[in-house]
Amino acid sequence: MRGSVRFSDVGKVFRWRGPRARHETLKGALFQRGSKRRGAVSAEHVALDGIELEISPGEAVAVVGPNGSGKSTLLKLAGGILKPTTGAVEVNGRVTALIELGAGFHPEITGRENVLINGMLLGLRRSEIEARMQEIVDFADIGSFIDQPVKIYSSGMYVRLGFAVAVTAEPDVLLIDEVLAVGDEAFTRRCLDRLARMRGRGVTMVLVSHDLDLVSSFADRAVYLERGRIVAEGAADAVVARYRSDAAGDIERDLEPQQVREAAAERRWGNGDVEIADVQLQVGETSTRLVPAGSPCQLRIRYTVHRPVEDFVFGIAWHGPDGTQVSGHNTDLAGFVPRRLEGTGEVCCIYDSLQLAPGKYLIDVAVHARDGLAYDYWCDALELQVTSEVEWPGVWSPPHRWQSNGPLWAEKAEESGPDAENR
Amino acid sequence: MTVFRLLWRHRALIAVLVRRDLDARYRASVLGFFWSLLNPLLLLAVYAIVFTYIFSPRFPGGDPYPLFLFSGLLPWLFFSSAVLDGSGTLVDNGPLLSKVMCPPELFPAVTVVSHLVHHLLALPILLLAMAVSAAAGLQAFPWTFPLALVALVPWILTTGGAVFAISVLSVHYRDMRDLVGHLLNLLFFSSPIIYSLEGLQVPVMLHRVLTLNPLTSLVTIYRDAAFAGQVSPPQTWLAALAVGVAAWWLGTLVFAAFRETVVEAV
Repeated sequence: MRGSVRFSDVGKVFRWRGPRARHETLKGALFQRGSKRRGAVSAEHVALDGIELEISPGEAVAVVGPNGSGKSTLLKLAGGILKPTTGAVEVNGRVTALIELGAGFHPEITGRENVLINGMLLGLRRSEIEARMQEIVDFADIGSFIDQPVKIYSSGMYVRLGFAVAVTAEPDVLLIDEVLAVGDEAFTRRCLDRLARMRGRGVTMVLVSHDLDLVSSFADRAVYLERGRIVAEGAADAVVARYRSDAAGDIERDLEPQQVREAAAERRWGNGDVEIADVQLQVGETSTRLVPAGSPCQLRIRYTVHRPVEDFVFGIAWHGPDGTQVSGHNTDLAGFVPRRLEGTGEVCCIYDSLQLAPGKYLIDVAVHARDGLAYDYWCDALELQVTSEVEWPGVWSPPHRWQSNGPLWAEKAEESGPDAENR
Repeated sequence: MTVFRLLWRHRALIAVLVRRDLDARYRASVLGFFWSLLNPLLLLAVYAIVFTYIFSPRFPGGDPYPLFLFSGLLPWLFFSSAVLDGSGTLVDNGPLLSKVMCPPELFPAVTVVSHLVHHLLALPILLLAMAVSAAAGLQAFPWTFPLALVALVPWILTTGGAVFAISVLSVHYRDMRDLVGHLLNLLFFSSPIIYSLEGLQVPVMLHRVLTLNPLTSLVTIYRDAAFAGQVSPPQTWLAALAVGVAAWWLGTLVFAAFRETVVEAV
C-alpha cells in the first residue's frame, strides 16, 4: 500500500576503527587490518536494536525519547538515507524527509535555482517545479528575494523556503525531524496548517519532536525510544505521559516493550447502560486531531450498548481550553426521536465547514436520556487543534469577504486578505 | 553499466547541478563565464612568452613548443582538476546526501561534467592558436583537429573512473586529499606532456617505465590530432580506449564497495 512503512527487526550499528572516531585514516586501514583480525580496536555504537514498527498509510506517528536514543537514525532509515545493519525497512511510495530545512541549499546561487535543484532531488520534474514556483515563493513569503543568492537570506527565509520546497513534492510519506521547532511563531503556525492539510489528504507522517504538546495533538500513535530500543508504544497521550514521568525520573523502568493504555484519569461519568467506545474526528478519510480552519470534517462516535435503552440523545459540546462554551448540539435538538438503542454502532456528526478560529478546542461527548440521566458522559473526550496560516482572535471564523469603495489598496493586501485564508 | 543507467536517469538533475557548479563558480566575478575562455588564453600567453623568449626546448615534433605544451596540457588539466575537485565533492555535498537523500553517484559525475564543460570552452582557444601559428608559417595547420573530440572519450572515461574512486576514498580516508596532489604531480611529470618520448634522452629502463604510464597513450592520441595533424596508429587508440574502460570499471567498482557507508562517513 502506498504510504506504508514497516521496520522488521531493524538494527543499526555505526562502526569506526581506531581512536580517530569518524575520520578514518589510510594508515589505520592499512595497518590495523592485522590487529583487527586479532579482534582489537574497533569501536561500535548500537544506534537501534530490534525495532519492530508498522505504520499504516495515513497514520501520524511520533517518535519521542531523550537525545541520542536513535530517533533521527530511525527517521533516516525510513528515508533510505541510511541502510539498516540488520533487518529490513520497507517504505511504499514517495518519501520526503524534512530533516534540516534548506540543508541542501548552495549559498552562492539564487533561491529559485536552489528550489529547482532541491525539488528535482525530491523527485519532481523540472516542469512541475516551475509550475509550482509561485506557490512556493508565496508560501515561503520571500518575494523578490527568490532571485537573490541564498547566502544573503535571513535564517527564517532559509527555513521557510526549505519547508516550502519539501512539501511541494507531495510525498506519500513525510518524515519530520524537529523542523517545527525552528522559525518564528507565524512560521510554525503556517507549517502546522500545511501539515494538517496534508494529513487530511492521507499523507503518512513520522514526526520526531521534543515538543510533547505538539506530539499529543499531532500524532495518533507514539513510539518511545531509549538507547535504541522501543520502550513503549501506543496512544500518543499515554506514551507522552510515560515519557514525561520517565524524564522526571520517578518511575522504575523495565526495558521490555510495553503497550501503554490510555490513562483513565479523565472526567467521565454515567450509569454505564451505553458506553462510548471511541470518538474520532476525521478530515477526509484520515482520523486526526489537527483540523485546518474551514475544512469539512466529521465527528464519529462509536458506541456499545450494555443494556438496551429506548430514551437516548447523542450530544456534542465544544469548548475552549479556558472553559468558554463554543457550541453544543445534540440529536434531540436536531429533531431525532429515539426508538431503540442496542448492540454496537456509530453516530456521526458532519460539519460541512469547521468555522472555528485557530486554537485548541476540547470536545465533550455524551449519550444520555432526554431528561438528562447520563449513560455515558465523557468530558474532554477529544482535544483538537484548529490550524490556519494566520492567526485571528475569537472563536468564530465565518467565511467572509471585503468590499470597499474609496480606499486604495496595495495589490498584495487584496489577495491575502482574511478571505483568501478562509477556504 | 548500472552506473551509466543511473546517471542517464538523472541526467536532468546532473545538468542542473553542473549549471549550479558553473554558476556558483563565476557568481560575483565581473567577467563571469568569460573566465572559462580567458583562463586558457592567459595560460597560453604566459607559455608563449616564457618558452619562446626565456628558454626554448627543442626536440623533434615539438615545434612550436608553446603549442606542443598547450595541446598536451589542456586534457591533462581536465583530468587533474576534476580529480582534485573530486576528492572533495562528496564531502562538500554532504548535506544533500545526508539530509535530502540522493544517489551519491551524481556528485562525481557532476564534477567530471563541469570540468568537461571548461575543457570544451578552452578548445576554441586551442584551435585559434593553431590557426594563428599556421598562418604565421610556424607549422602546418592540424586538419585532424576534430579527432581531438574523439580522443576525449578515453579521457572522459579515465577521468570518470579516477574521480569515482577518489571521491569515495577521500570520504573514508581523509588523507586522500593530500595524497592526491602528490600523485597527480608524479603522474604529470611521468606523462609526455612537457616533453615527448621520442625526443627523450634517458636510460632505456626509465624510457620503458614511462611508456608503461597509462596516460601516455591518451596524451598521444589527443596531441596527434590537435597539434601534430596526424592520426595515431590504431594500437595507440586501442591502448587509450582500454585504459579508459579499465579506469572506469575499476573506479565504479571501488565506488560501489564504499557506497553504502558514504552517508555515515560524510
